[in-house]
Amino acid sequence: MITVKDLHKSFGKLNILKGVNIEIAKGEVVVVIGPSGSGKSTFLRCLNLLETPTSGEIKFEGESITDKKHDINLTREKMGMVFQQFNLFPHKTVLENITLAPVKVKKMPQAAAEKIALELLQTVGLADKKDAYPTQLSGGQKQRIAIARALAMQPHVMLFDEPTSALDPEMVGEVLEVMKKLAEGGMTMVIVTHEMGFAREVGDRIIFMDGGQIMEEGTPSQVFSNPQNIRTKDFLSKVL
Amino acid sequence: MNIFQMFWEYRTYFASGIQYTLLLAAIGVVCGFILGMLVSLLRMSRFRILRFIGTVWVEFLRGTPMVVQLFIIHYGLVSVGIKFTPIESGAITLTINSSAYLAEIFRAGIQGVDKGQAEAARSLGMTGGMTMRHIVLPQAVKSVLPAIGNEFITIIKESSIVSFIGVTDLMYQAQAVNMITYDFLTPLLIIAAIYFVMTFTLSKLLGLFERRLNTDDHR
Repeated sequence: MITVKDLHKSFGKLNILKGVNIEIAKGEVVVVIGPSGSGKSTFLRCLNLLETPTSGEIKFEGESITDKKHDINLTREKMGMVFQQFNLFPHKTVLENITLAPVKVKKMPQAAAEKIALELLQTVGLADKKDAYPTQLSGGQKQRIAIARALAMQPHVMLFDEPTSALDPEMVGEVLEVMKKLAEGGMTMVIVTHEMGFAREVGDRIIFMDGGQIMEEGTPSQVFSNPQNIRTKDFLSKVL
Repeated sequence: MNIFQMFWEYRTYFASGIQYTLLLAAIGVVCGFILGMLVSLLRMSRFRILRFIGTVWVEFLRGTPMVVQLFIIHYGLVSVGIKFTPIESGAITLTINSSAYLAEIFRAGIQGVDKGQAEAARSLGMTGGMTMRHIVLPQAVKSVLPAIGNEFITIIKESSIVSFIGVTDLMYQAQAVNMITYDFLTPLLIIAAIYFVMTFTLSKLLGLFERRLNTDDHR
């Protein structure tokens, strides 16, 4: 579904990604772990071109999205993204946050968009918050709304950029629960996270990144129980 | 003749002055607002040439006296065959002058909106234009509302310079009344009071509007 070939990204003289290659299949849950500064967030943000790659190719559903002639907005409709800082729109209600893109981008009738939004709010357990503004919500609630907002576009893949890192510890669980449900529903997901327990439980494949490259990848049991690379071992010994 | 008697006796002068002052100020505010927003977008454009045009616009209009701008437009352009009525010249000057100040206010507001907001909107497939219109601008305008209010008040006051080119605004009428009465103080006190009522009312209205927006999302 997503093919990344020799992806490089540098900011000025700083090389963040130094040749990343990966193939992600439909329905797969890929969890990217690694120390901070390893380039894992940059890698994720390159997938929907929030960061423009310096070189390399990214294909999504057979189309090269790094091609200059490609309209990235069409691809982004199919790639939902959830951010560490939630990034809900503070001047819009929860319902408006969710319906805005379907109505404006997909030209969906307001009523249809609201119907989808209400179903999604039900799924994330926040149906009673539809008329609230983001500032009236807790961090965990905001992130669940952000997930619902991304899902409202009916994406084919969901990208999660450290979705629980800005949350108070007691709110991490509710967000992971929603993500787990999503994974069980067959959604293709790429997740950058520090939640090792979650990675192990939900991930189909674990990617360990360090220094802008994929150092090791494999099933959760391979990577967590029997890491091969010395840096993977070192990293896991610090976080587990 | 005391101040109230004078006001009553020459009320038609002042009333007509109020009309022109309000008309010009309203044009300056509304057109300056729209033009200022366009100029601020120019200043943040991806294209260097557009940024350059925006910068020149802002720096020139902020860096030269408004009276000079008014005279250039009204008297100066005649020599290249462009002729405006006094009202047109006044409206144009107020609009372009306020657009420069408002553009800088908008730019500060737009750049103050968290980058994550635009990223979230773009990640949902919204185009750059949609993101600006639905996500960034509403938040930007709200955060700079007090500064915009200041600029509106400035426009009302500064509109008095159009009397120099013969627009019969409040300032002009005060001078007309003091020509008739040989009283140089009272007519000016009267229009000072009228200007104050206008700006004070506007400032209260803006305060009300600001509070309304704030209760909306409790930010």
